Amino acid sequence: MSDNEVTLTIDGKSVTVPKGTKLVDAAKRVDVEIPVFCYHEKIGALGCCRMCLVEVEKMPKLMTACTMDVMPDMVVKTTTEKVEKAQKGVLEFTLLNHPLDCPVCDKGGECPLQDNVFKHGSPDTRMEFHRHNNAKATALSPVITIDRERCIACQRCTAYSERIEQDRGLVMLNRGFHNEVGTFNNEPYDNRFSGNVIDICPVGALTNTDFRFKARTWDLTNVETLCAHCGCNCNITMGTRLNELMRVEARPNDAVDDGWICDKARWGHQFVHSENKISIARENSVGDGKPTSFPVLPHDCAGEDAAGKAAEAFKKIAEEHGPQSVGFIGSPYATNEENYLYQKLFRLGLGSNNIDHKVYQDTPGLPVSHYDVEQIETSNVVLLIASDPTEELPILDLRIKKAVTHGGTRLVSLNDQTIALDKYSTQSVQYKVGGEALAIDALTNGLARELGESASAQGDSGISADDMKSLVETVRSSMKICVVYNPSALSGEAVSGVKRLLKMIAKVPTMECGAIPAAPMTNAVGAMDMGLLPDFYPGGVPMSDEEEIKKQWGENAPTATGLSALEMIARAEKGELKALLVHRSNPVMDFPGGAQVTEALKKLDLLVVHDMLETETAKLANLVLPSNGPGYDEGTTTNIGGRVQARRKALQADQAPDWKIISLMLNVLGDETDYGKVSDVTEEIARKVSGYQQISRRSVGKTGCNRDSVISADEQASAKPVQAGTNGSLRLRIATFLFAEDKVLDASSKLAHHFQSSTAHFNEEDAGRLGIQDGNTVLLSAENVNLEATAKVDNRCQPGGVVVPRVSDGQRVNGLISADGNTAWVEVRKV
Amino acid sequence: MTQILFKNINAKDLHTLKVYEEQGGYQSLKKAFARKPEEIIEMVKASGLRGRGGAGFPAGLKWSFLAKNVFPRYLCCNADESEPGTCKDRELLLKNPHMLIEGMILCSYACQIETGYIYMRGEFHDLSFIMDKALEEAHAKGYLGKNILGSGFNLDIHTHLGAGAYICGEESALLNSLEGGRGEPRMKPPFPAVEGLYAKPTVINNVETLCVVPYIVNEGAEKYAALGTEKSKGTKLVSVSGHVKKPGNYEVVLGTPTREIIYDLAGGIRDGNKLKAFIPGGSSTPMLPADKVDVGYDYEAIAEAGSMLGSGALIVIDDSVNIVETTLRLISFYMHESCGKCTPCREGTRWLYQIVERIMQNKGQLEYIDKLEDICGNMAMKTFCPLADACVSPVVSSIKHFRSDYEEYFKKIPVSSV
Repeated sequence: MSDNEVTLTIDGKSVTVPKGTKLVDAAKRVDVEIPVFCYHEKIGALGCCRMCLVEVEKMPKLMTACTMDVMPDMVVKTTTEKVEKAQKGVLEFTLLNHPLDCPVCDKGGECPLQDNVFKHGSPDTRMEFHRHNNAKATALSPVITIDRERCIACQRCTAYSERIEQDRGLVMLNRGFHNEVGTFNNEPYDNRFSGNVIDICPVGALTNTDFRFKARTWDLTNVETLCAHCGCNCNITMGTRLNELMRVEARPNDAVDDGWICDKARWGHQFVHSENKISIARENSVGDGKPTSFPVLPHDCAGEDAAGKAAEAFKKIAEEHGPQSVGFIGSPYATNEENYLYQKLFRLGLGSNNIDHKVYQDTPGLPVSHYDVEQIETSNVVLLIASDPTEELPILDLRIKKAVTHGGTRLVSLNDQTIALDKYSTQSVQYKVGGEALAIDALTNGLARELGESASAQGDSGISADDMKSLVETVRSSMKICVVYNPSALSGEAVSGVKRLLKMIAKVPTMECGAIPAAPMTNAVGAMDMGLLPDFYPGGVPMSDEEEIKKQWGENAPTATGLSALEMIARAEKGELKALLVHRSNPVMDFPGGAQVTEALKKLDLLVVHDMLETETAKLANLVLPSNGPGYDEGTTTNIGGRVQARRKALQADQAPDWKIISLMLNVLGDETDYGKVSDVTEEIARKVSGYQQISRRSVGKTGCNRDSVISADEQASAKPVQAGTNGSLRLRIATFLFAEDKVLDASSKLAHHFQSSTAHFNEEDAGRLGIQDGNTVLLSAENVNLEATAKVDNRCQPGGVVVPRVSDGQRVNGLISADGNTAWVEVRKV
Repeated sequence: MTQILFKNINAKDLHTLKVYEEQGGYQSLKKAFARKPEEIIEMVKASGLRGRGGAGFPAGLKWSFLAKNVFPRYLCCNADESEPGTCKDRELLLKNPHMLIEGMILCSYACQIETGYIYMRGEFHDLSFIMDKALEEAHAKGYLGKNILGSGFNLDIHTHLGAGAYICGEESALLNSLEGGRGEPRMKPPFPAVEGLYAKPTVINNVETLCVVPYIVNEGAEKYAALGTEKSKGTKLVSVSGHVKKPGNYEVVLGTPTREIIYDLAGGIRDGNKLKAFIPGGSSTPMLPADKVDVGYDYEAIAEAGSMLGSGALIVIDDSVNIVETTLRLISFYMHESCGKCTPCREGTRWLYQIVERIMQNKGQLEYIDKLEDICGNMAMKTFCPLADACVSPVVSSIKHFRSDYEEYFKKIPVSSV
């Protein structure tokens, strides 16, 4: 037993736990259940409800097990007469004015108050007065309704708001018998994490407005699956009834979400029943999105049959025009199995490396450890590069806040815009929009000089020498650092700069260095690992490693570097690319280039779109294949921390699952593998993909399994100076906004109240020059695209830049970037 | 009679620095600064001075508990005086603010504190002006601020008004309120001496406690310790209220028989009535029947008699009163003042009120008495802070000593409702 452990006796059972453990948690270790209402292990002690009173030897009175730290040789009794009397008493008080409307209460059947009364309470009441009446349904926000009559004032929710969200959005109002949960000035309780209070409410007071009175909890089929939004891959439980999604709840997994989910996870899955869902395969007459008049496919053609036809068509084109004439744009939102099979289909079935899933540059693997999100809590310094977790990866935001406020972690950020987490950072260094490559190199060079290595000269990134010096010092002296960078927000080759930086940090003596590639897409890491890339095979094997490729994938495996997504669009425009398969991606809306993309896609001989919801791209397709998508599909995804977890089927689909459709296409193209179930694909991934050897259905289980690191390529390129804009134009930075109105979160969404109109954030220097004031309407133009926005002069970025959060598809903000993805200079004028 | 705190209390313009200095004010500072801070703590320990706010914890010991080598530290003077029946601090603040300032300077010097706060209940709004004026004068004279009297010791004192909650007299709730938060007690440990105001070591003392310190420094610990009983040293301000002829604040040497306080100082029971009961130390302490009136007014004797000295508020009840009425009034106070954090207190105080109210409406049943005792048992010692215990104490003690008063109400029950 170490110094940090304490041994005590609870109900005659000896238990050894770490110092600082609360009695109530220690008891769980030896299967002694001490009843609680207010205590939650993630929130910490409150001591409000008094339900957990226990007898501790040598203490004159009963103690609350939730507030008491374990002490050596403590003797605790939880079932004595005195304790039972106290528990009965507390329960009597708790129920005194609690309505007995369990038969209609949403919490009924899973209610801690019900459970505790059954276990420890008295069968009848001594209350002879009229129970207190209170408001039965008050909206705290458009998605949360509070039943004040049921509230037992345990303060769990307000403590959550104070300690976890840390914004005190929810507070106790008034006092004594009249205290109630509410908000300042009756403003809506509306933030990114509000829904968690529904899960933690020990009674039916905080209810999910959407789920209210919809189903009894015991009638739900609960499936343990994953959130399909950001790269955190938080664990959720989907409760369904009669094949309809009723509600989503958090499913605590410390390694991933620490027990919390964001509101997008909770209310953002209604798309599974969207009326825009693609449910059957169809042929379009190109351009109008309507079924063609003379279909080759029968009207109610099954997805499998249509897929077979598609595969044959691709095969024909590849044979006629060569493998370079076909391409595949995959999705960072699809599962590993789907992505793996698709790359296999194009590489081995069609002989093409024209495979990609992104419009920014990135390479698989890291030169240092790939940290999982838990490592943030044990790091001394977390360095954010171009990352805004609050909007991009909300649960990472909570994890960082926890590390900073409850641990000894320091947060530093190197960013081109101010972010919400700046409040928690010890240093926020801002570079010019577009200056990331220079800024990152400056940091690398600064470290190199400290380490006595040669450092190249550098251009101006907009960071003062003092700021950079202090940043270098913070990084150098950090002992353990976790670098969180968002590759999708890095322009040009800046991502190679990050990897050179990581290598440099790792050279600092006694430094522990790890990184989290924090792209906001669900399975961005998995898509890289699965080789959805023109220049890497799965597991980060580069095209140059022909030996390895031939060994793994056979003699005929193509080793010429393929086209990137943007190159494919460019070739399509020139008529050189003949056929394109797009899986769960919407290039028309999400790719730079705007109308140019549409024109390019129209020139294709064959466009097949395999998607779950109708998109602008699907309208252009010759053939549309139904993709089931989250809720219906099965498989694994890899989160930003490299943790592979299982997504499970919560709803039954009419169509074959995606992996089945792809495997059928593979069969048509000559591959003879017969995948009977999705785990057969997972097994093949374990065999073929470096880093995934340990991954199997069993090892992934309910809480996931970290993959090993994948091979990392050498990074050589160095940063180019920021390109100058034409006279007076501003460099555009598209920021992420969590609740953007898109296909998945459409107007019918429960989260529609979060939708925002376009805003453009200016530095006061530029605003002054352009005569723009807060609240003015401005027009941003580039590439023949105009975007109207409300100006906000809030110095969100340095002079010379403008930040535009991507708030909706309709905004078409990506159209402002040139089709090659490089330049993003916009003209701004006041309207 | 020995008067320490109330010596010259009615002197004209005592609240001004000039008069206070003429009476010998601020003389203790030089004496203190000539000694090491630890010596002052030892002195206060030796004097046997106990906290006058209610708990009676030895003041010097409390000061010595401060976490070592953690700075800054804070001093909070508890001037929330919210215990019903208590009005002694009010008189000190009103008439002799400089005595408190002097006491705070000594305490701060002893504990190496450079910032002090006087947390006054919101109703002391008028007194806060007097206090602010006094602080200003002391500051101008160099008793506060940087390098006080050339000692190198710095101190600033600020007043803060509460928003009106009984619970803010509880030290940790006071700290929450002072920080701008909700007035709810904090979890202990950590105790304020380790993590108090702004999570720094903090001393919290009652006005009266701090006001005694200049005397101890001036006259020596022995002289103070010579007063009173073996364990209850010195003098105590007693706020006598209720059915006496001369209610008011009196300073008595601890150990003085309660009878003397009621009959000699306060002039005896009004209107020729007889003493029925008295609450010796503020509304949260159990009431005692008339036959205990000879109990010595000190911590130990009163505890032995079954109550507490508390804040020194002696509430006298004569025989014109049915104790149930008194009890209901007291429950009503605690029901109103419960912060609502703990279930037994929030729900229990209201339930007790409902039951006793029903008894007074002649609608009760004899079983109600047992039920009241059982509910009290479920509340007592089961909550975060002692507010629930404070509410329970009049109920339990009234049933214990005056059960017949309850039974009178049941006699009047109309036959139809039985």
